[in-house]
Amino acid sequence: MVAVRFHGRGGQGAKTASRILGTAAFLSGYVAQDSPIYGAERRGAPVAAFTRFGREPIRERGAITHPDVVVVADASLLEDPGARVLEGARAQTVLFVNSSLSPDALRAHLSLPEQVMTRDVTGIALQQLGQREAISALLGAVAARLVGLEWEPVRQAITRELEDLAVAPPVIEKNLTVAKQCYDSVEPTGLHKGGGQVISAAALHNPIYEPPTKGTARISAAGNSVLRETGGWRTFRPVLVAGKCNGCWLCFVYCPDGVIAMNQDDRPVVDYAHCKGCQICVHECPTHALVAEREQEGGEAWTAK
Amino acid sequence: MDSQMMTGNLAAAWGARLADVDYIPAFPITPQTEIVEALAKWCARGEVAARFVSMDSEHSMMTAAGAAEVAGARVFTATSSQGLLHAFEVLYSISGWRAPLVLVNVSRALAAPITLESDHNDVLAARDAGFLQIHAETCQEVLDSILMAYRIAEDERIMLPVIVNLDGFTLSFTREPVSLPDPEMVRRFLPPFRPSHLGFTASSAQALGVAVIGGTSYAYFRHQVHLAARNALEVHGEAAESFHALFGRRYDLVEGYRLEDADDVLVMTNAGASKGKAAVDAARTQGKRVGLLRLRVIRPWPAEAIRQALRGRRGVAVLDQNLAPGQGGILYQEVAACLYHEPARPRALCSFIGGLGGQNLSAGEFHAIVEQTAEAGVAGSGLGPVLLYSAEEHREMTQLQMLAGGHA
Repeated sequence: MVAVRFHGRGGQGAKTASRILGTAAFLSGYVAQDSPIYGAERRGAPVAAFTRFGREPIRERGAITHPDVVVVADASLLEDPGARVLEGARAQTVLFVNSSLSPDALRAHLSLPEQVMTRDVTGIALQQLGQREAISALLGAVAARLVGLEWEPVRQAITRELEDLAVAPPVIEKNLTVAKQCYDSVEPTGLHKGGGQVISAAALHNPIYEPPTKGTARISAAGNSVLRETGGWRTFRPVLVAGKCNGCWLCFVYCPDGVIAMNQDDRPVVDYAHCKGCQICVHECPTHALVAEREQEGGEAWTAK
Repeated sequence: MDSQMMTGNLAAAWGARLADVDYIPAFPITPQTEIVEALAKWCARGEVAARFVSMDSEHSMMTAAGAAEVAGARVFTATSSQGLLHAFEVLYSISGWRAPLVLVNVSRALAAPITLESDHNDVLAARDAGFLQIHAETCQEVLDSILMAYRIAEDERIMLPVIVNLDGFTLSFTREPVSLPDPEMVRRFLPPFRPSHLGFTASSAQALGVAVIGGTSYAYFRHQVHLAARNALEVHGEAAESFHALFGRRYDLVEGYRLEDADDVLVMTNAGASKGKAAVDAARTQGKRVGLLRLRVIRPWPAEAIRQALRGRRGVAVLDQNLAPGQGGILYQEVAACLYHEPARPRALCSFIGGLGGQNLSAGEFHAIVEQTAEAGVAGSGLGPVLLYSAEEHREMTQLQMLAGGHA
């Protein structure tokens, strides 16, 4: 059995990519299974999806804890401990990262498996499809190539899954063209599948009663949401163009996360550690003083906690 | 102590009044309405210093009840049947918040077809909601159980809500003498509500019922609810001891009636157990050694007390006033489960379903139950579920079907 784990942010298409791979494997004659896991469905929040396929019935469910391949749709997730991108990865695990940086550049400050590949899939999507979100077909194609599937079932799978999402036929055609480029840009990898480990009985803890102050699902530490930096959710950041702001405070009012403060001169100051990049402020600014700039890899949005 | 004639519903209202509750969200439903009517009247007159609020549904009512409880108020509310089911999802939230309010349920059979009289499918639907459950046999026990319920619920070893159950009509609208405990002694029995984990302070906000995606945290908190409920076995004993010392009445997890030398035992709950006791007396006059075990605390499940009461018996009949379609009696299943590992378990465990929707159980039917259980015990093989329905009832039903079909 081959186990592929996808990591992305809500809206990037990690789940659809896992389905494209699942369908492509199914159409290739394999036994296949795919499933996502996510919390409250928030755009930008870390999500994961799992595809398994093989020749035998699949006796596993849920999260893939020991992936053969990890596909990362957003490089900033590598530095987000909450996303657990490298959890269960072995030295032989193949890691594919959507990044404009080289594997060596990523390795500079991260401990990664031996086989790491990077492609700037977001750059390709922006350039050729004009949308940063639409990378599901591209990631699905890359993943399918890495695990050695033929192009024809991948093409059919992309078509089926995008049709399922009511994507217009001309857009599907464009996706197929770009997906084929991505597919051709990588080579099948030698998969060293896990397994064969001896399983011993887990150490079990006997739960004991704890006082309600501990045993109740409650949070009494005030204001701790600030600890969870959500700046990594951004692809685009709002930037103030000096001189265009008229001090109307509308950005402050519309910001759904309260991350825009107004300074003494009535100018917005964005808390980039927590701004999720929704761009509502950019949309609402009547004088176009706030503009969207794509985040640079390794920049502030990449080091959010 | 002076007693006075009062219904089970009025006794329930007195329980809330004597417990000095702070907040009462209410929504009427037969056969419960009399409880909240009495409390509304007392609140309006200033005799009860609680805030009484009429809500727009039982769902809102339970939500308000839980919210007030987590803000630190002592809360009482009451419902029945469809009302309990309408509030159902909130029950699980309230136990998850570890909010120790007391809810009186006046049992009434569930629609469809719609009816008003009692059976226990309503309250037993909530058996896994994380509420403790006390089922009362008499009007006095209704009042006393509410006081005990607050004492147990608000203990730091528990902090879970409690349902006190009474039967519609046969207890809710039935008057019998009830002794009103002295308010000063109730205050000694029931200390003020000062939870360590709840309360509302503007300077120290807290979030309750937070999201815990992934099973690790969720399982921990559900385990805690279970362990808290288990603690109630011991805490109930302490409360019973204290209650007995102050008021002279003793309530245990289960009540044995003429069990000492009994060969065969009827297992029952709620007001119907009074008739079961009469059946035991009638059988005894015929020389049959029969006793009755009344299950009073249903959650936590008093497995050890049940094992002790039933070990070594010949035949045991669980008379369920409820029906799980496709399965049988709900309490029968639980009794059977807790006897499985008992080496001296009864030779026969029989299941009878009776009293659905307030269906009358005649002395003759009890006689048949006693006979069949004794036979099953001698034979050493179980019986049932037997759906109790007399030949007379069958004739009456046949006539009604003809009327309904226009063939009268």
